[in-house]
Amino acid sequence: MHPSEPAIHDYVDDVLDARQRTDVERHLEGCGDCRRLVDDLREIRKMAAVLKNDLRDPPVRAWARLERAIKLEHSQGPAKGRRDTRTLVWLAAAAVLLVATVVGLQFRAGQRTIGNRVDSSTSTPPNSSAATNQAAQAVEAELRAAEEHYTKAITGLEQIAKTEQGALDPATAATLQKNLAVIDLAIGESRAALRSQPANEPAQESLVENFKAKIGLLQDTVALINEMRKGNEAGAARIVSGLKPKGD
Amino acid sequence: MAGKQRVPIPFPSKEKTVSQGTTHADPNDLVARCQAGDVEAFEALYRAHSARIYSLACRMGGSAEDGEDLLQEIFLQAYRKIGSFKRDAAIGTWLYRLALNHCLDYVRSRQAKMTKLTETLDAETSFEPVARRDSTIARLDLERALERLPDGCREAFVLHDVEGFDHKEVGELLGIAEGTSKSQVFKARAKLRALLRRH
Repeated sequence: MHPSEPAIHDYVDDVLDARQRTDVERHLEGCGDCRRLVDDLREIRKMAAVLKNDLRDPPVRAWARLERAIKLEHSQGPAKGRRDTRTLVWLAAAAVLLVATVVGLQFRAGQRTIGNRVDSSTSTPPNSSAATNQAAQAVEAELRAAEEHYTKAITGLEQIAKTEQGALDPATAATLQKNLAVIDLAIGESRAALRSQPANEPAQESLVENFKAKIGLLQDTVALINEMRKGNEAGAARIVSGLKPKGD
Repeated sequence: MAGKQRVPIPFPSKEKTVSQGTTHADPNDLVARCQAGDVEAFEALYRAHSARIYSLACRMGGSAEDGEDLLQEIFLQAYRKIGSFKRDAAIGTWLYRLALNHCLDYVRSRQAKMTKLTETLDAETSFEPVARRDSTIARLDLERALERLPDGCREAFVLHDVEGFDHKEVGELLGIAEGTSKSQVFKARAKLRALLRRH
């Protein structure tokens, strides 16, 4: 008889007493399934422990957002709660990003549901083609809606960036333009892939990811322009360091 | 999970080590300057601790987007509250507590709004892990799989297996029984194993 699942986890966590431990070990000697389970759980534990010290740097724009929020607090009094801070800090850029993010999340959630529908329908071939076509059309419609909203968000950010671009030195502006061109190229490739295979999930995801990359770069551009206008060279340098040329 | 009311951080016995980052400023002086409202000093504090807080926030929130919003809210709260910091712990520990409390509040309020139950994961497809059959689990695969864990077992797993709290402490932090913490962590590991299954 296999040890209970909690006993296996306790064994992995090394919290069993000597007798229980011996019992589990004796079982493991003759049970490949339980040995594999123990090996996998140990690996998950090991990697989880490694994650603790594997720190991610926040996006460069995060400090600019926070600084704005702090300054707004000084000028308007303390804001209360999550939603207030989110809506106050990023001004026009935040508004367009929020639209894009919400739409992106909706698209991803819808895509998963529809994807499952497609998968389940393909398991019953005789009556599946109509359902599959319907599901594929639904995915395409959602993608089109997401694309439309991302495009609006990008246009809004581009307008802000374009109007204020004089604040940037020519070399930085050129790097930004080059990065944008690389992302635009990737967007074009995703679109081309989708034209030939509209239901291609990696291409759909790639298109959405490229939209998000473009929005991120434009956000960094707006943050950089703000730092330059403030004369904060250190802040600007930090943002510029994150704008390494792409595609080299 | 939703049973007992969580008491704001009955804090764990272990002192959490927080990276001091690359700043060269004297931390004591930094705190005093922050308490006097010096935004530049606060930026230095942010630079020193933001990666630690952001990593925690991403894992507790379940996505980079939530992590970024949480990071902003945590540091804004820190800016508001740093005047009341009594220096009875390291500033990094104080920030970590603030961050953890904020993440827990966020997760709780989200749980109250959403019915993202553990069972929903069963209906989802697993993703293709990057790691090969004969290699160990790739760190990025684990990060991606973590994002797909349901609320409830993800926080228990992050607190126990990643952050290193014991089940008693996890129970106190999440307002659940110690036994529930264990079962949530076991459930998370089982789901991670399924998500990371080898091909």
